[in-house]
Amino acid sequence: MAKIRKMSALLVGGVLAVTASGCASQAGSSDALTYWSMWKEGEAQQKVVAAAIADFEDETGITVNVQWQGRDNVKKVVPTLNTNKVPDLVDGSFAKLAPILAETGQAKSLTEAYDAEVDGSTVADLIPSAYLDADELSVDGGDAPWMLPYSLTSDAIWYNAAAHPELVENPPATWDDFIDTLDQLKADGEAPLAIDGDVSGYNAYWFTAAIVRTAGPGSLKEIATDPTGEGWDRPEALEAAEMVEQLVDGGYFIDGFNASKWPAQQQAWADNQAALLFNGTWIPTETGPYAADGFEYSSFPFPHLDGGNTAQRADFVGFAVPAKAKNAENAQALAAYFLGEEYQNALGTDAKILPIRADAAVSPEMTTVKEALDAADGYFQQNDGISFPGYTEKLLWPAIDQLVLGKVSAAEFIELMKSGQVDYWKQNS
Amino acid sequence: MTQTEIRTPPRSPVAGPAAESVVRPGGNAVDRGRKRLFVPFVGPAFLLYTVLFVGPALYAVWISFNKWAGAGPMEFVGFGNYVRLFSDKLFIQSFLNTLLLLFVVGIAIFVIAFGLTLVLRDMAGKKIARSVIFFPHLVNAMIFGVLAGFIFNPAGLVNTMLGGLGVEDPPAWLSQDNLFPLIMVMMTWITTGYFTTILMAGVDRIPPYYYEDCALAGANAFQRLRYVILPLTWDVFGTCAVLWTISSVKIFEIVWVFGGSTGQGMPPTQTWTTAVYTYVTAFSGESVPAYGAATASAVLSLALVSVLVLLLRRVMKREAVEF
Repeated sequence: MAKIRKMSALLVGGVLAVTASGCASQAGSSDALTYWSMWKEGEAQQKVVAAAIADFEDETGITVNVQWQGRDNVKKVVPTLNTNKVPDLVDGSFAKLAPILAETGQAKSLTEAYDAEVDGSTVADLIPSAYLDADELSVDGGDAPWMLPYSLTSDAIWYNAAAHPELVENPPATWDDFIDTLDQLKADGEAPLAIDGDVSGYNAYWFTAAIVRTAGPGSLKEIATDPTGEGWDRPEALEAAEMVEQLVDGGYFIDGFNASKWPAQQQAWADNQAALLFNGTWIPTETGPYAADGFEYSSFPFPHLDGGNTAQRADFVGFAVPAKAKNAENAQALAAYFLGEEYQNALGTDAKILPIRADAAVSPEMTTVKEALDAADGYFQQNDGISFPGYTEKLLWPAIDQLVLGKVSAAEFIELMKSGQVDYWKQNS
Repeated sequence: MTQTEIRTPPRSPVAGPAAESVVRPGGNAVDRGRKRLFVPFVGPAFLLYTVLFVGPALYAVWISFNKWAGAGPMEFVGFGNYVRLFSDKLFIQSFLNTLLLLFVVGIAIFVIAFGLTLVLRDMAGKKIARSVIFFPHLVNAMIFGVLAGFIFNPAGLVNTMLGGLGVEDPPAWLSQDNLFPLIMVMMTWITTGYFTTILMAGVDRIPPYYYEDCALAGANAFQRLRYVILPLTWDVFGTCAVLWTISSVKIFEIVWVFGGSTGQGMPPTQTWTTAVYTYVTAFSGESVPAYGAATASAVLSLALVSVLVLLLRRVMKREAVEF
């Protein structure tokens, strides 16, 4: 009996301890805010944000408790969402913030930030309205988007202008021109396209961009939403897959792309061992340290189909405020403050990324991308905005990998996606 | 295998009621002292273990019965997540990969480790050799994953050397289909030294007079192995097998960096283990997290380890030879 009593005392103690550990809470103060940043100390972008925070603290008297966490900051927010200790402000790409905050109803509608006045006009007017039209930014019942973008990432086909002045003069505009260019490069004995085939996300750029051209922005997401998978029977889907197949069959990709490890192939490209690289706007910064002497970054947008759309990828990077944030007002004030001209220009010229404001300065490397974005007739997100649990990682990317690595044909790819999608929705409905 | 039990002395069948009254309830003074100290000694450990392990583990089991994105409402789905896992080809494939690591790599490790043990036992300079063999285990598996990328890249060390030997068309080492076999080889190489060290400690324990006895009896090397070394190190083998089982089911980091381009994206699905599957399902960062499915996969891994460890202990059970 004594033994049982002791055991039960221990059990009760254990249960109490578990319960107690879940109840910690902290009171908030109104002249401070906590900000978990996606930038790491020392990065060019971090320096711009840090300067803005210093000015903000001076002007408003609000203390900003900033943690420079790096790209995993949004992942680290997840466990806090079930407690009362959420950070007041986080930043990240749309693709990372949306599944964690927006789709779980944990993001605040940023009414005050959008109404705030910066440089004489409201924040809502500073951001090009074409960007804000995206449905994905709205919150149910909210009257302002849940995310305040301060910069964009896009993609482009990059090349060394010093080595290829002919591309500066006459960049291929249509898909057929593009294939001609590739043939020409190949005939000249140069590897036309570099690609790190081990990075599924990079392989996926090709198919996503192609299907945006054949069927328009949002079409891939629409096809993916269909539990019957019949959307894959659309001729535009096959056509897009055939565009990728054409690149594989044409042998345009650099040798060894199917068995290398990132960043081997983008290094080879920066070393002039291949002419073109289809990748994001971070490429000049990322490959800069190992680029060949005299390398001049330039780019042209993914070619359009003769007469087709010229939509460009515009992935937002910006701020969001968790619904439970205690200092939401301060957080929104800082978010709006960062859209000031000074910081937007610094993002463009010092950090060499694309600022969200149309009137902000950009670095010479980004001018061609900026022109393409300004001229675009539509915008799309990475993976065309698909964020269904596991769809991209477990179905779309592995299938696109096979297509780009030349293991399946375009028709087999469509079949793979169709049957895979039926299974996916059977398991996830 | 050592268990400390608090036994009350067996009652003698011949002792009558009179003898019974001599034995005081609660045993002798030492036993009573032990009982008094039970709570103060076991309590803190039990509390910590409950808070940090049992509680979260039970909560994980609860989560696995729900559909949950990590925040917001939970939706109870019963065994839905488990049913889903078994109809997911990718999970089955990841599970098979885990089993491949567990059994194929496990057997390779033990055969090589045991061979090394026999060779190293009476080799000159064995102390240095042991340290050298153990060294790979000191280095984080991730480093080998990253290193492998450099060595096996199309323009990497291996192909350059092969080119020097006149191999025109070397294999595509890092292609998606070749990655997992490479990981298995790497894993064997990293882990063998560790188990060799443990096995050698077991073999060293065997008193030399057994070998002298063997020599006198004219036993050959195989007979010495069969009748002396194996029986006397059997319990060490059993422990090593359990250790490997537990660690192999958790293999994650080497897979993640081997194909995962050092944090740039994620490894190809051909190389996934259940641990990678669990991680991607919960924390991929590219789509809405599925915590229910992820915990279900983790709970299944835990169940797999438990069952295998129990089976192993059953199979490996022998009377320990005292010497």
